[in-house]
Amino acid sequence: MDGASNAASDKGLFGRLGDQLDRFVGWLATTRLFKCIAAKILVPYWAWRTPVKPQEGGPRPSLQPGDNVQRMMNLVMPLKDKSAVGRALAALAIAQNKDEIYAGLDNVGTVHFARFVIVDDNICMFSVYDGDFTNYIRDFIVTIGSVFDAVVGLVEGGDSVIPSAEHVDQFIDWVHDHDLYQVSDVATDILRDQEAVNGDAGPGHDDLRKLPRDLILQLNVNRNVSLGSGYRAYPGYSAAQVRRQFGVGW
Amino acid sequence: MSTAFNPADVQGNILHGYHKPRVRYLMLEVTEPIAARRWLAASLSGSDGVPRITTEQPWETKPDTCFNIGLTYQGLRALGAPASSLASFPTEFIEGMSKRALKLGDAGASAPENWEKPFDEPARIHIVASIYADEVAQLDSLQRAAVNVKWGVRLLDPARDGWCFNGDYVHFNYTDNISQPKFKEIHGTDNYPDWDSQPMAPLGTVLLGHPTNFEGLKWRVPQPEALGHNGSFNAFRVLEQDVVGFEEYLTMAANDLLKNPKGNEVLPPGDEAKIGAGLSRRDALREVIAAAMCGRWRNGVPLALSPDMPNPSPEMSRTNFDYDANSRCPYGAHIRRCNPRGAQIVQRVANHSRRLVRRGMPYGPAYVYDPAKPRDPNEPKRGLLGNFIGANLGAQFEAMSCDWLNLGLQDPRVTGSNDPLLGANDPVTSWFDLPLKSGKTIRLRGLPRFVTTKGGAYTFLPSISAIKYLGSLT
Repeated sequence: MDGASNAASDKGLFGRLGDQLDRFVGWLATTRLFKCIAAKILVPYWAWRTPVKPQEGGPRPSLQPGDNVQRMMNLVMPLKDKSAVGRALAALAIAQNKDEIYAGLDNVGTVHFARFVIVDDNICMFSVYDGDFTNYIRDFIVTIGSVFDAVVGLVEGGDSVIPSAEHVDQFIDWVHDHDLYQVSDVATDILRDQEAVNGDAGPGHDDLRKLPRDLILQLNVNRNVSLGSGYRAYPGYSAAQVRRQFGVGW
Repeated sequence: MSTAFNPADVQGNILHGYHKPRVRYLMLEVTEPIAARRWLAASLSGSDGVPRITTEQPWETKPDTCFNIGLTYQGLRALGAPASSLASFPTEFIEGMSKRALKLGDAGASAPENWEKPFDEPARIHIVASIYADEVAQLDSLQRAAVNVKWGVRLLDPARDGWCFNGDYVHFNYTDNISQPKFKEIHGTDNYPDWDSQPMAPLGTVLLGHPTNFEGLKWRVPQPEALGHNGSFNAFRVLEQDVVGFEEYLTMAANDLLKNPKGNEVLPPGDEAKIGAGLSRRDALREVIAAAMCGRWRNGVPLALSPDMPNPSPEMSRTNFDYDANSRCPYGAHIRRCNPRGAQIVQRVANHSRRLVRRGMPYGPAYVYDPAKPRDPNEPKRGLLGNFIGANLGAQFEAMSCDWLNLGLQDPRVTGSNDPLLGANDPVTSWFDLPLKSGKTIRLRGLPRFVTTKGGAYTFLPSISAIKYLGSLT
């Protein structure tokens, strides 16, 4: 006999009924009807009762050197033209400027990898960089801003920040707004993030049972997120350290 | 608006230092916006007893006292700047220094939660006024004139006084204030490259609305132009220095070198007298380590020019040098980390671009190290009241602080370490490499945090036109 059933038999009639009820309620949540109610009524009601601010994009600020190299940028920029033509224009804008963009990234010096991807009607730039986000974007503008402007011009809201050389601060803020929120790898940190963004910091809010609800509400206002900050094969090394080690010049 | 340089429109503490031996910073809260705007307007002419703002206009006779102001974002709001204008300021200024703490390495003992009064309530600091004078009595009298309940501004105690206790020497016993960006509009171009190898700084390094270090790139000028043009931004910092801890660390590191077989390569036996007459080997090593950490000997002579001795003959320039591949200045030395000049760096476009005008004065009494004397628990507080001025806080002060001063991204040989003097160091993880002539290094460890942030504010240094604009708001 294991401990659990032992405990159940100790509960008496009401205790056993209670367990049955728990199981019934647990089963309810998996039914189609309940899922439909949750999505159409419950979540909008929660969202109305507990307004949640979207989390900021990008990695969490940290003082640890290991956290400040190989940081991920997941830039998702909605195209103005949401048709195959629009997507083709975006593909062409990257292809036409590929050499300059890659040379520019090389000169920024702190970039490990960068890729351009079209997902649905978004042109995305996913990259791994070292150090401060604003420094990365600023150096990028200084190096190849005029070339990248051709891409940004195809994006919703992009016209307000180009030419980027004349709108450096706005451009950096705009890119930051399009960088995906990186959901923490640690469950309690997700709660902590919610408290921080809603301004109710301090202990006493780390009720783990609230976790799914907080996450649901955040994903309700922040549809696309990065799950964690990603895997690294050789954590803690900057692009320049890797290049130096391999003798490819930094 | 014209990009021609008009010195009468620029506050006088930006492009020049006043070379006054005393300074007082008054952190002010605006309690009555209408009265405070009248106060601003009066400060332009010095009418009604309000101290007059000192401008960049060349003077025939040096004034006895100088007076300048900086405004925080909360201050601009309190004075009634319109919402559209407030929104045109850069994000880092809007957020304020305490919100940018992690970027600046202000964590642990330096975290804003631990800042001293009045910096523990950053939203109440609206104006940081500075008075420069020869005597304390002059500071007192200007303070009385500047802060008065009828002017709708209240002093948030305590005011902060700095003084030069020994010329350009600061705590930790280094000469400071040696190298500053030079502007052709101010310093002229006569024989320029002969006394400083760094390119002259365009005015836009510090003044908004002028060409920047990046060709074709302009920082946003806060609107309207009358408010933003010719303005500048300042990171005002109260930096406490652990003078005892610093000297004790030098002794500890020198003792380690005495035991290290490679220590003879740092300082060949017999060369002690080159470091200073009558110095013991340990004391000579202490000076060698202090010089490596800073990049200059304590008298200001740069290691880049004189790596083996602080008093070379003939004398050498203290500013005309660069870091080539064979430079014996450590990659991680303070002055090289904060301004790598023309050295090879990872961020290839960033050479010369993160320069700042630095105006600082020490506070607290001079300190003389006595190894025989144990640390006094009531040791007076010492440090630096620093102003780090530039046209773009994000591109200059913050960029320098977060990637160069700490983290060390600029050179793969220092990445992962923090500045030995100013960095957010923890003795468990900190390190600093002493270069040897052979090209090898000796790694020093166990550096504690010598400098702790005790307060500060991001301020906007308005032009004369901007003060006029703010003073006339209704």
